[in-house]
Amino acid sequence: MSYAYLFKYIIIGDTGVGKSCLLLQFTDKRFQPVHDLTIGVEFGARMITIDGKQIKLQIWDTAGQEAFRSITRSYYRGAAGALLVYDITRRETFNHLTTWLEDARQHSNSNMVIMLIGNKSDLDSRREVKKEEGEAFAREHGLVFMETSARTAANVEEAFINTAKEIYEKIQEGVFDINNEANGIKIGQQHSPTNPSLPGSGGAAGAANSGCC
Amino acid sequence: MFSNFKERFISAIAPDVPMLPNIERDHSHHHRGGGIRFGSQQLTDKFPYARPPFLQLMTPDELRASADHNVRPIIVPRDINLLPWGTGYAECVNSGKSEWNEDQGAFCRQVLSDPEQKHPDLPYTYFGIFDGHAGYGAALAASHQFHHILHEKLVDCLDLLLPRDTNESGPGGAGENGKLNPTFPHPIYFQRRVSKDELIIGALESAFFHMDSLIAQDRDRYRDAGGCTACVSLFIDGKMYVANAGDSRAVLCRRSALPVQEKDDPNDSSIAVDPLDACSYPVPFSSDHTPETERERLLNVARLKPSLLSSYYVAMEYAKRPHIKDMGQRILCRQGSMKGWTYKTLTREDLRMPVVNGEGKRSRLLGTLGVTRGFGDHDLLAINTGIKIKPFLTPQPDVQQRDLTQVVSIPDEHNEDGDYGVLVMATDGLWDVSENKAVARTVFHTLSKYPTEKHRYTMVAQELVARARGKINESGHWRLADSKAAATVDDISVIVIPVSQYYKDYVEWTKTCSKDLEQRRQQKRSAAAASTAEAQEAVNVLNGVLAEEAHVVEEEHEEVVVLETKGHQQQHHHHHLQNEDDEEDETLVVEVQTRLDQVELNEVEEDEAEAELEDGGEEKPVTEQQQNKAKEQEEKKDTPTSKRQKARKGKA
Repeated sequence: MSYAYLFKYIIIGDTGVGKSCLLLQFTDKRFQPVHDLTIGVEFGARMITIDGKQIKLQIWDTAGQEAFRSITRSYYRGAAGALLVYDITRRETFNHLTTWLEDARQHSNSNMVIMLIGNKSDLDSRREVKKEEGEAFAREHGLVFMETSARTAANVEEAFINTAKEIYEKIQEGVFDINNEANGIKIGQQHSPTNPSLPGSGGAAGAANSGCC
Repeated sequence: MFSNFKERFISAIAPDVPMLPNIERDHSHHHRGGGIRFGSQQLTDKFPYARPPFLQLMTPDELRASADHNVRPIIVPRDINLLPWGTGYAECVNSGKSEWNEDQGAFCRQVLSDPEQKHPDLPYTYFGIFDGHAGYGAALAASHQFHHILHEKLVDCLDLLLPRDTNESGPGGAGENGKLNPTFPHPIYFQRRVSKDELIIGALESAFFHMDSLIAQDRDRYRDAGGCTACVSLFIDGKMYVANAGDSRAVLCRRSALPVQEKDDPNDSSIAVDPLDACSYPVPFSSDHTPETERERLLNVARLKPSLLSSYYVAMEYAKRPHIKDMGQRILCRQGSMKGWTYKTLTREDLRMPVVNGEGKRSRLLGTLGVTRGFGDHDLLAINTGIKIKPFLTPQPDVQQRDLTQVVSIPDEHNEDGDYGVLVMATDGLWDVSENKAVARTVFHTLSKYPTEKHRYTMVAQELVARARGKINESGHWRLADSKAAATVDDISVIVIPVSQYYKDYVEWTKTCSKDLEQRRQQKRSAAAASTAEAQEAVNVLNGVLAEEAHVVEEEHEEVVVLETKGHQQQHHHHHLQNEDDEEDETLVVEVQTRLDQVELNEVEEDEAEAELEDGGEEKPVTEQQQNKAKEQEEKKDTPTSKRQKARKGKA
């Protein structure tokens, strides 16, 4: 599938807040109630349309545990968007947001769009963090905010797409240097019929064109 | 049955060494398969680019993301249960020197089982790591195909590898102390005893050659695969084997038991020396094959076949770089497999490019290649000169073995990982920037941080890769975390195998195996009782065989006596013969045993016959009665053994 742009996302936040479930809901439209601990990093991808343009989201789902923190830091580089996730039923995951944000700001490029996400909105009866608190935190730090549920899929699409919209606007404004891949944005070959850069998928064309991109 | 047995035996010991690639290639093959007909450069891949299956990077998007040269993500298995024993794996792509990660990892668990169900099954586990160059094809092919080839080679000698009854009475079957004799009897024409060890090592070695020839066969049908190194470990029958060709490396990281902590003095623990650092140590299980380490072999190839060098290179090593101004003067040099140095007069030919140049990691074969063993590279040509490089390369691995049943591990010390060791197999991406000792330290340091976690060995692998990859600095260079030194820009792949976990598996297996054997024994006993008559017949046959051998031994002795009477000048000969004779006696006993064993192997119902033989004393099979019988039989037929004996006499 061809695309006009590729945006790279990273999902961060404490362990167990539902990062992998959000990704799965967004890419596969399904929910897995029991998810193994993410070790290292996992990848997802989906095509969306903004302003009539095909945009591919490449999403890096990271491990939330403290032990993985130093490796996760190396993944901020080269991300155009970040979803910073906490769990509305666990206050401590909200309390840790400051540390996550510091990490993200320090290791990412300054234009990275950060979306704050309060996940598990379906578990309202066990809520420990009020929606207003999330909104206030986002306002204070200049983030976009949204409550989601990976289980019911509520707001999941919106969270990913709104982040993309913001990145897209920044590109239109000329804020992003889109020629530097380290910024997490890649210009695609909208008019090419196949993705020629991956051998195997492109068949013979892959052989001829390998090395490009 | 007999000849079939022998054939299998031969193929296990002396694998067909593939022919070197034919320089005059048949171009009619170019259009087979693939479906593309515009010449060799447009052939397709045999295997489309992929990462090891246990990483579950299924989609092109995931593959693309995992090969991000800017970020170099460290990839570990999504589901750690896919690898046995909690074995860890981690990898990381290069910083942009090639589009894709040219390393590959592979593993396979298999069971060797007797098609006739005569022996219990023998499970084994294999891990492989392949570092590709000039493309990902060869490493990918090896990761897909090597374990199938290895399995074939092991099945080839299946009947010798499968567990058999250690309590079974009968020569050869059981050694002293009721322990399984590790040495196998051989068919009649063989003079060598062959151990299980040698069979497994042979299977590994021949699998390496076979893999290389498979890649050679494919090069007309598919896109040029490039080449790769191969480092393979095999866990079978309570032992660990490591076979290596190239500059990937396997290191067994061990640790001596930690000193007991004094509980009375809590301040003691603040002493600067980390006990983990002090107690961990690496044991190399492979040696690197680079132009530098293999200089001797390479110079020897060049010396034996100078035409390989055309007129571009010189197969000589000089103590000092030859210079045109030194022409006609003497220069210290060596060639072939010389260990020392000798003088020669410098001629114009000495000014050619040496077969091996550069030192250490920068050493190059024919100025081109930095690794001298592995698979593939069949079409690789030297830079500038276009000389074929393959004749200098070999898939021949070095194989090392460790008998895990001999490891002493005291349960109270809780040091299984230290005692059995943790096997780290990795491509040179790791070893280029990490000392073996530092790797051993990191292994045990990381394990102590995750004492009970199921993914602790994955954490070790991840930590090793993370350290070798380092961090990218402002100017886009990868640097080690603890120093400013350059980190590796190469692909990195690491497998971390907890050997003690395999051993636990093995101990469990021996229990079920001995149960199985006991069952078989009982079945056999009842079967034997039912066929006493047949067994009696077998006794007669066996006696005949024994007698023949006995007669030959006797004859040889007589010969010596005759020689002795021939006076002084024969003295030397006599001694010579006497010695030979002693050896021969031994061999004959072995051969007698061989036959007994064959019968025993092939005809289970002869149990009783063997029992009777044992009573007669297998150690001294030569009895009066048998000798007489043998003399009669000797006239009637020539056994292969006696023919050989006669030939020997003729020489004397």
